[in-house]
Amino acid sequence: MILSKIVAVHSYKGGTGKTLLSVNLAAAFAKRGKKVCLFDLDFRAPSLFTTLKAEKVECWLNDYLNGTCEIDKVLTDLSDRLQENGKFFVGLANPATEAIRDMSSKDRKWEMRALGRLLALRNALLDDKEFDYLIFDTSPGLQYSSINAIVTADLVVVATTFDRSDVDGTRRMLGELYNLFEKKTALVLNKVLDSTTKSKKDEMQKNVKSVYQVPLLGVIPCFCDVLRAEGSVIFVQDKPEHPFAKILGEMANRIDSNDIR
Amino acid sequence: MTREEALGKKPLQILEKIKENLERLNEKMEVMIELQKHGRKDALPLQDAPLDVMTLLSMPDHLRKTAMTVCRLGRATAEEIAEQTSRARAVESAYLNQLVIMGYLKKERKGRKAYFYPDRESHG
Repeated sequence: MILSKIVAVHSYKGGTGKTLLSVNLAAAFAKRGKKVCLFDLDFRAPSLFTTLKAEKVECWLNDYLNGTCEIDKVLTDLSDRLQENGKFFVGLANPATEAIRDMSSKDRKWEMRALGRLLALRNALLDDKEFDYLIFDTSPGLQYSSINAIVTADLVVVATTFDRSDVDGTRRMLGELYNLFEKKTALVLNKVLDSTTKSKKDEMQKNVKSVYQVPLLGVIPCFCDVLRAEGSVIFVQDKPEHPFAKILGEMANRIDSNDIR
Repeated sequence: MTREEALGKKPLQILEKIKENLERLNEKMEVMIELQKHGRKDALPLQDAPLDVMTLLSMPDHLRKTAMTVCRLGRATAEEIAEQTSRARAVESAYLNQLVIMGYLKKERKGRKAYFYPDRESHG
């Protein structure tokens, strides 16, 4: 059975919580003593630079994909922010307007090379540098960078909400994108109202299976604390007792033990 | 090397050459069969068609599986691809050669082995 070493976090629509999930999932792995790298593949709206308050970036992920620098120079070590034994690295997308414009105008040949470079991370980081996990935070929908990430990944975690257009789009994407690439996929229901009782959770699990035909990795209730934090808190690290951090911890455990059914 | 040893080696070399030629012939036939199956008689290779993800998405399922495996391995023989896809080597060889004709893959011979790879390095 293939282990899920490269995880792409994707969604059909924007605002489903991909970045929040990616950051906290990466932090949860690091908290478990793993060596993890989180990559920002949302080149149209980079956010990890701000979320993680990165200060000194030698090279951007854009540069690596452009073939102008090696991956070592892209990785920023943020392990000192953790109180645990794990290692936490990030590869950031360039938030400058010029860089966003540049990344939006790439041709198919460039995208093919970028796919090759993303695929090469498996050898360069998992095998040679002994990383345990690579997490890709992607942009929503059918963007080149996101599909490149999906093709590279072992597991695609799809963040979705109960918004009708999101449900519809996600279902289509599962059938017409992930299935075609034969990708192991798991769903995360985010911003869920009323998911506290066990019977409600069981019902949701059953519904997800019948509607989406993929396993459910987790259900995240709508937490006002998360909204209030305005993206500046890594709950798994800063508020480990918060229910949100615990849910993310359970997700990391399930991925780590390959328990996705 | 003694005269006897040299004489013994020659038939072996000839046999290897025959085998190599038969394999090449087999590959060509596989391509022709594959093209006929899909109703293409104008078998002119296309020039450097990029094998990007949108192209992968639009491919028929049987070719996508082969193309994705080559992308993942970077460079591989039909046998190596067959190991990954659990399909017969001859089947993969036919699909790989079809992808070469379509311009998505390059093929390079090294001795008796044929390697297939997406051309990511050429400019344009």
